[in-house]
Amino acid sequence: MSIIEMKEVSRSYSAGDNEILALDGANLVLEQGDFIVILGPSGAGKSTMLNLFGGLDSPTSGKIIVDGTDISTLDSDQLAEYRASKVGFIFQFYNLIPTLTIYENVALVKDICKDHLDANEVLRQVGLEGHGNKFPSQLSGGEQQRASIARALAKSPQIILCDEPTGALDSDTGVMILRILQNMTREHGKTVIIVTHNQNIARMADVVVRVKNGHIQSCERRGNPLSVDEVDW
Amino acid sequence: MLHKKLWRNIGNYKAQFVSMIVMIALGMGVFIGFNMEWYSIETDVGYTLNETGFADYRLVDENGFSQGDLDSVKGIAGVEDATRFLSVNTREKASNDTITLTVTTNPKISGFTVTLGDQYDGASTDGIWISDKYAAANEVSLGDTLTLTYKGLEMTGTVKGLIKSGEYLIYLADDNQMMPDFTVSGFAYISPTMLASFLGFEYYNQINVLSDLDGAEFTSLANDALGRITLNIPKEDTVSYSEAMGESEEGQTMATILPVLFLAIAVLTMITTMHRITTKEKVQIGTLKALGFKNRDIKLHYLMYALFVGTFGTILGSLLGYGLAYYIMNPDGSMGTYMDLLRWDLVTPGYTYAVILMMDLLLVAVAYLSVSRILGGTVADSLRPYVPRHIKSTFIERTGIWKKLGFSTRWNIRDLLRHKSRSMMTLIGVLGCTVLLVASFGMKDTADTFIDVFYQDTMNYETVINLSEDTSNAEAMELCDQYNGDWASRTAVLLGDSPVSLEIYNITNGHVRFVDGNLDRIELSDGGAYICQRVAKENGLGTGDTITFSMYITSQTYSVKILGIINSLSESIVMTSSSADSAGIGYRINTIYTDEKNVQQSPLIDSTVSKTSVIKSFDTFMEVMNEMIWLLAIAAAVLGLIVLYNLGTMSYMERMRELATLKVVGFKDGQMGRILIGQNLWLTIAGVIIGIPLGVFVLQYLLTALASEYEMVLAIKLPTYIISTAVTLGVSLVVGWMISRNNRKIDMVEALKGAE
Repeated sequence: MSIIEMKEVSRSYSAGDNEILALDGANLVLEQGDFIVILGPSGAGKSTMLNLFGGLDSPTSGKIIVDGTDISTLDSDQLAEYRASKVGFIFQFYNLIPTLTIYENVALVKDICKDHLDANEVLRQVGLEGHGNKFPSQLSGGEQQRASIARALAKSPQIILCDEPTGALDSDTGVMILRILQNMTREHGKTVIIVTHNQNIARMADVVVRVKNGHIQSCERRGNPLSVDEVDW
Repeated sequence: MLHKKLWRNIGNYKAQFVSMIVMIALGMGVFIGFNMEWYSIETDVGYTLNETGFADYRLVDENGFSQGDLDSVKGIAGVEDATRFLSVNTREKASNDTITLTVTTNPKISGFTVTLGDQYDGASTDGIWISDKYAAANEVSLGDTLTLTYKGLEMTGTVKGLIKSGEYLIYLADDNQMMPDFTVSGFAYISPTMLASFLGFEYYNQINVLSDLDGAEFTSLANDALGRITLNIPKEDTVSYSEAMGESEEGQTMATILPVLFLAIAVLTMITTMHRITTKEKVQIGTLKALGFKNRDIKLHYLMYALFVGTFGTILGSLLGYGLAYYIMNPDGSMGTYMDLLRWDLVTPGYTYAVILMMDLLLVAVAYLSVSRILGGTVADSLRPYVPRHIKSTFIERTGIWKKLGFSTRWNIRDLLRHKSRSMMTLIGVLGCTVLLVASFGMKDTADTFIDVFYQDTMNYETVINLSEDTSNAEAMELCDQYNGDWASRTAVLLGDSPVSLEIYNITNGHVRFVDGNLDRIELSDGGAYICQRVAKENGLGTGDTITFSMYITSQTYSVKILGIINSLSESIVMTSSSADSAGIGYRINTIYTDEKNVQQSPLIDSTVSKTSVIKSFDTFMEVMNEMIWLLAIAAAVLGLIVLYNLGTMSYMERMRELATLKVVGFKDGQMGRILIGQNLWLTIAGVIIGIPLGVFVLQYLLTALASEYEMVLAIKLPTYIISTAVTLGVSLVVGWMISRNNRKIDMVEALKGAE
């Protein structure tokens, strides 16, 4: 079953006098429950795609259908509800609220999401039990990233969008994060979409999408994805 | 959960929040304080006047009024009630203090309120009801016996009650006193019965009237009813009423100019700070949006900050305002030495609440606009860190000078231009500080100069002798020769509808001198008159014009040429005795100015006033002023400190990455400190350069606004400029030092990580 469908999606930005076309008539269909890796050089349009999927940005033209709804037609409040219920976002720099504790950062979703999970339970899932009362600045990068995953998971979203989730982490910590993310697809049936430069991550993907100059070059279903531990990091 | 972020953020931005709250509290405090002050004066003065039956009009005739005259005046349609009234200066025998003896035949008009002792008894044959302030200053108690002397007559009575009276709300024993001095003078009431036995006959020189009639109308009706022309003094021309209302107006002027300055700076601080906070939290706002928070939730969150600041600022400001109002307006405070009121309630004019509410709404609106700007774009936009707009190279960079500038100078110039609003705010803060300092110290200089000119220069005598009413001109001149004095005749005349003082001088010994509008000394010439600045301005008269005034009682009209404009303490027309003689103006000599310190008592002399006692009363007046000036100067320094510190820390936080980079490159803390202080210093110098002329302008504006009360001439002495500049620069350096202390704490790794 398709979870995300892009139809002729373009997104352009104006930068001074220049018009930059970040995505140019992109078409793509992604299936539910897959571990999807989007690869491409800097400025190819990967992050733009991710922002569009997450309802952080709207296309200049074209349609984006997520779970049967065309999110390109939603207004800002509807988009906020969409983000609150359907998607979880994980950023390269974690983007935790520095003035809230780890527990509070996760429990924050109670304010916006009806079907949220228990914050302590999710923190346990990502291996952060006992860290709930600390502030983000008191945690290591890997722990902060796990907290940010916990925050995404607490909303119990269908789709988890990750923008270079391991970009700021050392490789051991990165592997730990990827293991959690792969588990989300294998054990909980979530769709995980990762944008990265890292070719290695592609080896554990069900689907690899390659993007270059705003065009989708290929969307390849790999027959035999490796588990995290099989990848040679 | 967001409310926890609210409180912790407030904790993290302590400096900003504290400074915003302090600024708003200062602005509100000054606003509330001065508004409370003038309104309380108006209300409490009104209460005192009303309670003691302060008269609307006073008909004066030195020949006295009979019961029949009173009945005629009472018969005028529109006259509510009237009384015969007498007020004369007597001497208390034991202390030689001046006691203004007062009698009213109808205690409901121009009466008094007893604060201690027996109520007034109109039939009492020995009761004296005396000013409670005089009693307190001279340890006079109920039951004490006082002996009063007047023109050789002696009267002894017992103190029955201590009182306050609206007629003596601002009690000045004579024209030469500027401030009440209850240690040497006071007022007292006795019954008409006692007056008759004291004088041996009935004598009242005034009829005091309660009436809603218009002044001119009442005068003509009264003259018709009495069948003769009398001098009518409306309440607006009495010291008690006009000076008290003058205080209230002064308060109103203060309440408009100063709070506007403070409140404007408070709002500007709020704008910059909220802008800084929201741009600094841009990524957090984006994160919240990415999580699925609606714009509404996020806006509400940031509005809470403004609400918090507004609420606390308002609460503190109200306390401060109340404190300020109480400080000025309490029986033991500066107003207490001036006015003698029945009550000292502090009341707030209604519109104050409306303005406070609008201020708080404005703060919320500022927060709303700041956060709306950031919420406006897509979420993806808000997730990108805030980048100040790229600036094109300025004209300075294109000139040859640029290449010669050092690195730190270039950096500071670019930074100033890149953060224009922050730079402007700093400039405005410094400007406000300098303006307040220059204006308040300049006010002191102006007042000092004013006093110096009058009391060192124009009042070139030791003693003023006020002559008795029965003293003839021949006797007066003889007495004048005896004391090597100069004589004068001072009377009230009518200029149009309003009374002004006509002063005719015969100066042979130079005891009285005159100054023009620039406070330069001038000699009086014959052949015309001189008028003071207020008379000139109010009547549109200038040198060379003709002034026409009329005498009371006789209504005789005189026209004289104006020879010049002088600066005077009272609204007056001044001329030499030979000018008066040639214009055919009759006069009675009533004042002698002499260098003699010891003047012997004589039936010709009513009272004497020494120059030192006049100066002493002026000193009290100056004390009140000095207090205000210090309050303002402290407020100015606090203002500068807060604004500079707030913006300084903001700019420091924004430049943290750049500073960390400099540190990585190898800059020492001290070098970086100098760069930071340098920028503050440039803005401070610019602020001082603009602030000084602006301060002079504000002071001139204040003087113009107060021109109906004092003919002060702007005079600022060099130390004022030096002190104002030094204080402002000092504040700037202290703040720069406080901020650059943090250089040591910059964590290079931490500051440099976490950005693309």
